Amino acid sequence: MLGLFNVHAANAARPWANFVTMQIVVALILVVLFAVLRSRLSPDRPGKAQHIFELIYNFLRGTSEEQIGHHGSRYVAFFGTIFLFILFANLLGIIPGFESPTMFPYVPAGCALAAFAYYNVMGVKEHGVGKYLAHFVGPMPLLAPLMIPIELISHMARPLSLTIRLFANMYAGEQVTLVFLGLVPLVVPVAFMGLHVFVSILQAYIFTLLTMIYVGAAVAHEH
Amino acid sequence: MSTKLTLLMLVLFVFASPIFAQAQTTPANNLHWVAVTAGFSMAIASGLCGLAQARAVAAAAEGMARNPSASAAIRFALLLGLVLIESLVLYTLVSMLLKVV
Repeated sequence: MLGLFNVHAANAARPWANFVTMQIVVALILVVLFAVLRSRLSPDRPGKAQHIFELIYNFLRGTSEEQIGHHGSRYVAFFGTIFLFILFANLLGIIPGFESPTMFPYVPAGCALAAFAYYNVMGVKEHGVGKYLAHFVGPMPLLAPLMIPIELISHMARPLSLTIRLFANMYAGEQVTLVFLGLVPLVVPVAFMGLHVFVSILQAYIFTLLTMIYVGAAVAHEH
Repeated sequence: MSTKLTLLMLVLFVFASPIFAQAQTTPANNLHWVAVTAGFSMAIASGLCGLAQARAVAAAAEGMARNPSASAAIRFALLLGLVLIESLVLYTLVSMLLKVV
């Protein structure tokens, strides 16, 4: 269909990049998981899946109310999506034959840009465009020429740091496992794969936590 | 609902931009300064990161020892601090990988 616009794949035998298909696999896994969960929800006889997801939901809602304040539960939908997507995307690479989509710089960049857009849009929704931009000026109007470049640079650095943190952790974890697989093929890479699993979960949590902190800073009301 | 979605998509499309590549040249006397600098920068970054994370963990352990009931909050602060320190080393790693091909 894109051939109508004279856009052709670089390699006709493999038109879709690995990370695109892996992202779709992650999305399908999540959809199937939630469909199965939804059919097994029960208030008086909760099953294992319901317990696990109640744990995850309570954890996310508790952290977001701690970071954002009393209205934190409004944003849990986005945080939950980001957390579960990045978690499953990171862990997918452990299975032999699959690659983490977060191992390629494009996917973490997409997640970071989504988080950036989300916290700015939420800030604008809470305060209105004028007042939200006025926050960039800082506490005193006299400091404006100093504060505006500092605030702009720090805001631009946020999606950059989110991207690089997630991408570099996943990429480096896989590279280290490969290096040790080349050196000692038998037992040693297991330690690095175990570390990679731990780092995957931690990085998903940190990405979500930082997004919560940014949303909290954007919608904060001065008392 | 659909105006929010439209606004979100618009902001995302604005940020799409092409990726530029640079041509690599081989130095005449075979001294690849890029590789040497890459090695030194990674070593310095990792060494300083080790020191900083050691200080963070030491402070967290002492805090938990003095006040075990605050363990959850201290553990949270420790984890956040460790990840942020580590991400600085990762920036160095990524900029090294961009140059060393």
